[in-house]
Amino acid sequence: MDRSFEPTNPEDVLLLAADAARILLESGSETYRAEEAAVAVATALGGAEAECYATPTGVTISFAGIDGRIHSIVRRIKRRSMHLERVALVDELARDLAAGRKDYEAASASHERIERFPERGIALSSGAAAAGAGFFTLLFGGAWNDALVAAAAGALVSRLPPAMAKRKLPDFFSNIVAGAAATLFCLAAHRLGLAANVDATTIGVLMLLVPGIAVTNAIRDTIAGDLVAGVARGADALMSAAAISVGAGAAYWIGRTVAGGMLR
Amino acid sequence: MMAFLPPLWAPVAACLWAALATVGFAILFNARGVDLLLAALGGALGWGIAAPLRGSGGSEAVACLVASMGIGIYAELVAAIRRRPASIYIACGIIPLVPGGGMYFTMLEYVRGHDRQSLSIALATLLTAGAIAVGLSVSNALSRLLALRRIGARIGRR
Repeated sequence: MDRSFEPTNPEDVLLLAADAARILLESGSETYRAEEAAVAVATALGGAEAECYATPTGVTISFAGIDGRIHSIVRRIKRRSMHLERVALVDELARDLAAGRKDYEAASASHERIERFPERGIALSSGAAAAGAGFFTLLFGGAWNDALVAAAAGALVSRLPPAMAKRKLPDFFSNIVAGAAATLFCLAAHRLGLAANVDATTIGVLMLLVPGIAVTNAIRDTIAGDLVAGVARGADALMSAAAISVGAGAAYWIGRTVAGGMLR
Repeated sequence: MMAFLPPLWAPVAACLWAALATVGFAILFNARGVDLLLAALGGALGWGIAAPLRGSGGSEAVACLVASMGIGIYAELVAAIRRRPASIYIACGIIPLVPGGGMYFTMLEYVRGHDRQSLSIALATLLTAGAIAVGLSVSNALSRLLALRRIGARIGRR
């Protein structure tokens, strides 16, 4: 397809570039990928010079348009949840634009499609959480009955953070509740004789909450030179790990002392 | 039930559980289609590398360092073939290595009043998380040096 040199409105280009970076950051991509995508979109659609500065909580873009003026925009990133397919689609869009395979109209259309890309349904994501928790329990040396308990707890616990996010409760609080719920569920099942290996069962469920990706991304961002983003992600990961530990520890303490020794 | 099966079954089963757990997480992370299968293979690969290293007396951090290098190189190759970001396969593949157990035992020992054990487990956990990230960075640098992207793209074009 030949590149049409019909000048695109600089404001539209800026909005598209900002949305590309925002979607990437919301979906859990690396910081450098979001910055590169925004710059690629802006330059491909007629910016003389573009710069993007992204952190996990916000993105700033400025570019000199074909009209010779400098435009800029700030986008705040408030919610973050892993959406790997969106990362792949925006990455593809940015590469298509850079290679001249798409013009503004086509890019705008696929941007609309990515923005409306559906989340997975409650049934499927609960099932996936159950499978994740159950198979991790088997992996950590649990038996079949432990895995079934972990799967039930996993399906339940995976619904808690979204339900609390809907009520505008902070992540810190929902992590405490989720960590406590996971631990209490497993201790109660152990007490009832349903799960023998309480450690493997609880770890299997907690794997759903542990900020493993956040920690590695924090270190990888820092190594890649995105120092502010790396430190911010590290703080986020540390806070979630602390909250989950507080919740799980409190539940464990309740199980040990108040309920008369759920653990023998 | 494991006792009735030959000893070779145990490591194979572990890799299978790792793969299936990874699929669960890949679905939660909104990966789609073939990516789910490729992510599961990455998870099994990581566990398959880490488990024997742990078993032969290596520390958890060293096992995770080598395993995450393996996952990283696998992810770069698959990413080049599929023309998609490597981070899709990395994010899912490292899930079985994430030290969730370390965090749990840090908390457990602290609640039991064993501060010293708690701190030493916390340190080991942090080291493991760092080792995973370092392993991924090393494999990223290696894949650039060895031009894995180009090799993968050539395979993808066939």
